[in-house]
Amino acid sequence: MASLRASLSLDRVGAVIAVLIGVALTAAPFVTYRANRIVAGEGRMLADALPPAGVAAVVLAAIAAAACAALIRRPAIRLAAAALGLCAVFPAVGVSAGFVAPAGNGFARVSPALGFWLLALAFALLAADALMRLRLGPWVRLAALAAAGAAIALLLLSGAWADLSLMKEYAGRAESFWREARQHLWLALGSTGVACLVGLPLGMLGHRIRRLRTALLQVLNIVQTIPSIALFGILIAPLGYLAAHVPLAAALGIRGIGAAPAFVALFLYSLLPVVANTITGLGQVPAAVTDAARGMGMSARQRLVEVELPLALPVILAGIRIALVQNLGMATIAALIGGGGFGTFVFQGIGQTAIDLVLLGAIPTVALSFAAAILLDALIDLTQRGAHDRD
Amino acid sequence: MIEIERLTKRYGATTVVDDVSFRVEEGAIAVVVGTSGAGKSTLLRMINRLVAPSAGRVLVDGEDTMAIPEDALRHRIGYVIQGYGLFPHRTVAENIATVPRLLGWEKRRIAARVEELLDLFQLDPGEFAQKFPHQLSGGQQQRVGVARALAAKPALLLMDEPFGALDPVIRSRAQDDLLAIQRRLRTTVVLVTHDMNEAFHLGDRIAVMDRGRLLQYASPGELLLRPAEAFVEQLVGTAERPFRLLSLTKVGEALEPGHAEGEPILLSATLRDALSQLVWLGREALPVVDAAGAPAGRISIAQILRHGRALP
Repeated sequence: MASLRASLSLDRVGAVIAVLIGVALTAAPFVTYRANRIVAGEGRMLADALPPAGVAAVVLAAIAAAACAALIRRPAIRLAAAALGLCAVFPAVGVSAGFVAPAGNGFARVSPALGFWLLALAFALLAADALMRLRLGPWVRLAALAAAGAAIALLLLSGAWADLSLMKEYAGRAESFWREARQHLWLALGSTGVACLVGLPLGMLGHRIRRLRTALLQVLNIVQTIPSIALFGILIAPLGYLAAHVPLAAALGIRGIGAAPAFVALFLYSLLPVVANTITGLGQVPAAVTDAARGMGMSARQRLVEVELPLALPVILAGIRIALVQNLGMATIAALIGGGGFGTFVFQGIGQTAIDLVLLGAIPTVALSFAAAILLDALIDLTQRGAHDRD
Repeated sequence: MIEIERLTKRYGATTVVDDVSFRVEEGAIAVVVGTSGAGKSTLLRMINRLVAPSAGRVLVDGEDTMAIPEDALRHRIGYVIQGYGLFPHRTVAENIATVPRLLGWEKRRIAARVEELLDLFQLDPGEFAQKFPHQLSGGQQQRVGVARALAAKPALLLMDEPFGALDPVIRSRAQDDLLAIQRRLRTTVVLVTHDMNEAFHLGDRIAVMDRGRLLQYASPGELLLRPAEAFVEQLVGTAERPFRLLSLTKVGEALEPGHAEGEPILLSATLRDALSQLVWLGREALPVVDAAGAPAGRISIAQILRHGRALP
């Protein structure tokens, strides 16, 4: 009796996902059609957005996924249902773009609308929920990330999305897209890298010297509270002075505005998580372990390298993860002061009220942060496994 | 041999260890007892210079420890603490190999030594060498902790409450194992505890400390029969005295000729064990046998009581 009830009971997360899917199918437009790039668009419901076979495929996949989400508890099946939904809805929106736009009209724009986004959100939630319940090991998670990346690359390279407004925005700026992508990565990864180079030794010193620790954390906490745009402003004066008076700085491209203040600001923001987690991680090493290490005649350097750092590594990596994910997102702001990066498209798009251009900057930013989070989480797990069940 | 000479530690105005001197003979176990805050641990940590003395000195085999570089000194002195401080990210074998590795021993020699120690501590190398500390029971962790301290064959072993984290049953077994291994290796041991039973069980000599001062340093029997101060008498426990005294003497030393009925007692048992057995069985006397089971004589309640008196 109990098992019967359990097998029929609704899954709470699943029920919410099913409702989302229901709303997306019945009450929200699947795509938006616009006669040209900047006029207001009109929504097209799913039934009008695809040829009948396409409508049937999307509806069936969505209903199947909703049913699995609400009623079936086995994570593997839920994951398969989510994958099925994603595989139906992503190509479908590309097909829809060709279907809705009048043939030969180069100005018409078709973009994904609320219905598509709700469906994508619902399937992604279902997938994330299933992956969490599966408790996959770090290697499998990395493989899943690679597979998702490959699927997206395949979708984009196959031209299935070529008619979508987003890809038309891209087609017009492919060159600058990849230039800004490199700039974005350089800003985010570079500043995080420098934060590690500076923050790890600072954290180690802070761990040893209590006074320095307090001062350090207080200063970094204050830096963290300065709004990014204000920090850019604060940096303009000293960097401008530097550029004007130190020829080498100017030769390196350092100016009051542009990439230099953005880089410095991101570096300053990421210093807090790196330093704080280094101090916390080293502080968590059990006193008995360090006492035993000292008592056996390990030098300060041997203790740090062989005992303290390995044991603190998961916590330190968690700090680097915070810094990296934060910087990948915040590097968008750099475009405001001419620092480049994906923010360039976001702010251009806002200026032109071209929402697809905004997305061209925003989607890669979110994807990068997401991938970085998964990558570093897996890395953290791998280092922790070393400490617990490497047998 | 280790000589502690007028060792003193002051932190500001407070004196934690106050002018302590004693000497531990080669191959002996000295137990330092006292209430918490008596300065026992500080005294111990001054021997391997984890704490720098304010005054006085320590000689190990006649050599002033201050003349030896800090790390080199610690490589020569085994150190076991409560909680053991095993490295959680290293296997049992890697943990035990710590000091030999620091000393730059050859790989093969280290592996052989690790195996030898695991055998000595009754941990099957095949099963335990590659395990991580968190996969071991408390008793196994304790054995690995002692094995690690003995890895580089130190002449001196310092132990700070090494059995403090064990439950009573495992603790008494661990104490017996330590005694057996110590008798075999003839390592000089200085052990700190607040447990009087442990002190009487393990110590060849017992140093009683209170508020930084050494009140008495004597054999267990002397401590019982001639306590130097009221505090020593109190710490030893007046109600426990006769039983402690009995537990210091083996049945073999109080053997009587003749026969008795009942379950035999081993020659190596203590008089305390024998008395307990006699009371429990309601007998006046029991037969005594040697380890091989051959009859050796008898032990009676009257004979035992004679050994439990303060004055013969």
